[in-house]
Amino acid sequence: MNTKLKVSKVSKIYPGCIANDNVSLNFESGKIYALLGENGAGKSTLVKILSGVINPDEGQIFLNNKLLKLTSPKDAKNNNIGMVFQHFNLFETLTVFENLSIDSEKNNNQLRILVNNILKKYNFKIDLDVPILNLSAGQKQKVEIVRCLIRNPKVLIMDEPTSVLTEQETEDLFLSLKKFSKEGILIIYITHKLKEVLSLCDEVAVMRKGKVVSISRTIDEKLSSLANKMIGEKLEKIKKVTSNNLNREEILKVSRLNFNSDDPYEVNLMDINFTLNKGECLGIAGISGNGQNELFQILSGETLSNNGSIKFRSKEISKLNPKERREYLMAFSPEDRISQAAVPSLKIYENVALNNFKTSNFFERGLFNERKIKDHSKKILSNFSINTDNVNLKSQFLSGGNLQKLILGRELITSPELLICFNPTWGLDVGAINYIHQTLIKINEQGKSIILISTDNDELLQLSDRISVINRGKLSKIMSAEEVNPEKLGLLMGGGLVD
Amino acid sequence: MIKIERRDETSNIIYFLTPVLAIFLTLITGAIIFYLLGFKPLEALKFFFITPISDLYGLSELLVKATPLCLIAIGLSFCFKSNNWNIGAEGQLTFGGIVGGGVALLFYNHQGFYVLPLIILAGAIGGMVFAMIPAILKIYFNTNEILVSLMLVYVSKLLLDYLVVGPWSNPEGFNFPETRQFSDSARLPILFEGLRIHTGIFIALISVFLAWVVLFKTYLGFQIKVSGLSLKTAKYAGFKGKTMILLVFMVSGACAGLAGVGEITGPIGQLHRMISPEYGFTAIIVAFLGRLNPIGIVFASLIVALTYLGAETAQIFLQVPKYTGQVFQGMILFFLLASDFLLFFRIKFLGFKKYEY
Repeated sequence: MNTKLKVSKVSKIYPGCIANDNVSLNFESGKIYALLGENGAGKSTLVKILSGVINPDEGQIFLNNKLLKLTSPKDAKNNNIGMVFQHFNLFETLTVFENLSIDSEKNNNQLRILVNNILKKYNFKIDLDVPILNLSAGQKQKVEIVRCLIRNPKVLIMDEPTSVLTEQETEDLFLSLKKFSKEGILIIYITHKLKEVLSLCDEVAVMRKGKVVSISRTIDEKLSSLANKMIGEKLEKIKKVTSNNLNREEILKVSRLNFNSDDPYEVNLMDINFTLNKGECLGIAGISGNGQNELFQILSGETLSNNGSIKFRSKEISKLNPKERREYLMAFSPEDRISQAAVPSLKIYENVALNNFKTSNFFERGLFNERKIKDHSKKILSNFSINTDNVNLKSQFLSGGNLQKLILGRELITSPELLICFNPTWGLDVGAINYIHQTLIKINEQGKSIILISTDNDELLQLSDRISVINRGKLSKIMSAEEVNPEKLGLLMGGGLVD
Repeated sequence: MIKIERRDETSNIIYFLTPVLAIFLTLITGAIIFYLLGFKPLEALKFFFITPISDLYGLSELLVKATPLCLIAIGLSFCFKSNNWNIGAEGQLTFGGIVGGGVALLFYNHQGFYVLPLIILAGAIGGMVFAMIPAILKIYFNTNEILVSLMLVYVSKLLLDYLVVGPWSNPEGFNFPETRQFSDSARLPILFEGLRIHTGIFIALISVFLAWVVLFKTYLGFQIKVSGLSLKTAKYAGFKGKTMILLVFMVSGACAGLAGVGEITGPIGQLHRMISPEYGFTAIIVAFLGRLNPIGIVFASLIVALTYLGAETAQIFLQVPKYTGQVFQGMILFFLLASDFLLFFRIKFLGFKKYEY
């Protein structure tokens, strides 16, 4: 039977951000649809609405012309909508079969026969009686897919399914998806990987900032045209004056940096090489979850990397922790300002004391020098125009912008040689963003260096002297900011190659 | 629909008043329980909480019981504040007792000022080493310290059992499961003639003062505080996480070991099976009732010590089992956690909202 899914004028508004803005889409079985977009484009919100996890503020969803009421994930299941999320929802210590039987009404014998038939039909090789933790990521995903198939889904939604898969597993998955599609299951494939859209899908809807900006057939599209649509062509460069490149003094050298994580949800870094000069800003672009987190943690020293991989002013620092690196005048501003860069329930001056090193004398002979820390904090509050002068205020009462200013202020007041920051303006209002951008430009002009890891392309093009793109744990070649355009950036971010 | 939300700000005064509220609620519930058992509630409560401390002997007993509780809870507060869940203080106390007791037995026919300090030191080191086991396993093998420290309690208790029945049992003791009496030089001096209160209380008071200084005035204390609030931040600030785990366990174990050695060289004077009426577990309640604050812990240890005494008087005068004491301890913890929940969260009744399409 033909399945038609219609999303009609769906909007979802969060405070300060429109996640879905009047989204209308039509899907029909027999085709594989791609939903393409950057982080924060609104893909996940739409998927959550379709699976009943969140309720839209406006708009309707129709399945075969029948209005759907999706108030919980159960409703989606009962209406034969199946979901496979990016992160698996499986009990690691239970066996495959136990996991499948948890939310099934069938008795165990019936279920076992059914599951075996499904496994045979699609040539899935999974032992039903081994615990989930013994399976590879690809096999776990197959278990999730089988769980959906048990319920004879009409619609199958895959949310960035390949982020944890190997190349081979990805190919396998695509073959299965094509099979499902032939059998009449409507498939919606959410991704930010351009190549996958072209090799797997029939139609593609591109989302940007909550809106659907384009719907087209994939045979009419190329990597570059999709990249342009995804990133948007309105990128302009209000760039700062390029730093005087006469000064070729090398500050940081990263060579043959490799990182293999035990955690399957972390990204492995492969053969990262770059150098950073004095007074320069190196931008690292990429879609989030491609290794930025891991790279930041390695550069800051929270995670240690292989010997000899990081040199600061020709000194080997790859085995130093963040505190020891601060002694070399490095400073760090992590992405997560609320639970990492600062502790909300601590007072401002206590948060300032987190950036402690020998010359600051915050702790003389191990004792907490409250007066010194408070004086230092007052200086930060006034120098970085934070809208309070009360150092005893708990940091949770600062707005996001003021908290970020406090963090940057804390890191910069010591005049570091190198600042490494990760999404410094994430979630801030325009005023705060401007202030922070100006601050970053100013410290570049003072001859200090910056590594700016960011998922905001406008920001990168505004501030960077050179830009590289990180994709699946690999850095692209480093380009000077002048030769970068949205198309190139989009291609590299989506895993394509440029010349 | 009922919605539970986190409150923005809780005032410091209320934060330290909720333990008082918890105690009050415990008293009310206790009264109801006594009433249901057929006693006059007020009279029963009086037997439980007033009679035991209405004379000098009672007050001394209160301090005798509060001393180990306070000492252990002080140590535990280092662990709990930094997100390390050491619940094996009872085992560390027992092992400290074993090591200290071993030294005491070694010197059973020696006299001299050096004997007691040696025993106390040995006890502290014993508890410390025993607490390092869960810490090291956590650091290098990522084991769960709750399970390891708890299971080690039974290891040390069985070891003590074996020693007092077997190799260390008193050769003139008619096979009773106990060791020789320690020599006088191995005993903590009594403060007042005729009362059991001993100089161990000074060890507890000194540890309270030191803990206060370390937790609130030093870099180490700052690191413990930050790690307890956010491990991610501690890592970002470059605190040496592994060293700190080991350190807080060592402090905690040493305190428990001191408590153990204080018991055997104080009121007990020998090793036998029951050197602690589960002080190590009860001290967990004391630590939380005192808000992990050294001063708070002093008061909390007195209150919880009173439940031990009350249970004994109640057993005599009301013929109820002495385990009523544990019922009261359990109620205190229950009400404390419940009022904490309301302190940090608020419950909102939203009524039924229809979804409209």
